[in-house]
Amino acid sequence: MGQTNPPFMSGVPELLLLRLLEQREMYGYELVKAIKLTTGRAISLGEGVIYPVLHSLERGGALRAKRKKVDGRTRVYYSLNAKGRKRLDRLQSEWQRIQSGISAALEAPGNA
Amino acid sequence: MHRQSFDELRSHLLESGIAPKHVHRIASELNDHLEDLRLEALENGLSAHEAESHAVNRLGDQRVIAERILEHTEFRTWIYRYPRIARIYLPVAYALVLPAAPIFAGMANPSIVARWGAALMLSGAVTAGMFLMMQLSIVLT
Repeated sequence: MGQTNPPFMSGVPELLLLRLLEQREMYGYELVKAIKLTTGRAISLGEGVIYPVLHSLERGGALRAKRKKVDGRTRVYYSLNAKGRKRLDRLQSEWQRIQSGISAALEAPGNA
Repeated sequence: MHRQSFDELRSHLLESGIAPKHVHRIASELNDHLEDLRLEALENGLSAHEAESHAVNRLGDQRVIAERILEHTEFRTWIYRYPRIARIYLPVAYALVLPAAPIFAGMANPSIVARWGAALMLSGAVTAGMFLMMQLSIVLT
């Protein structure tokens, strides 16, 4: 019972970014495209706002950033590390807990 | 067009205490992202002008981006993160350390203390001698 809910929608980009970076390293533009693809465009965000989230995760030690030159352009690729995997596991279980709680509330008869 | 806007974003972030290194990096990544969006729009058949405004719209309001960055206190320079230390404790520490600096310097280099002590004694002796001469001249006249 001591568990508190994570920030609601504000935690969603973080969760999605960690989940996508678990699969492979990506740069910002690639990540936004992947979010749109995997969520069926259900989540729409100003694309620039992912950078503060990425930088904060990097600063917190969850991500590693690496500059790479690809097709004549230098890009910053982000990849998940061990701390990031732990954070992803924690966020996933928190999200599933909230999701099942909300589903139970919505499905319960006569609660409205 | 958007280069100018990033200059404004840069200035705003720097004035708000975000570390310069971080400001330059985020502006550079936003610029790259904008270029990708512009190229994508051109590939989709938009004109150069349409592609530019389409890219700017998709990147989002830069005031919102700035707000998101400013929410993260870890991006700020230490003076902004710890204002009490910068404005109160640090000046007090300086006020304490500066007068004590000659003592610390003397402890680190004892020969300075010996020379400083000798000079002080010599100047004291000269001053005492002058006072004595003045007193004698008063008494004798």
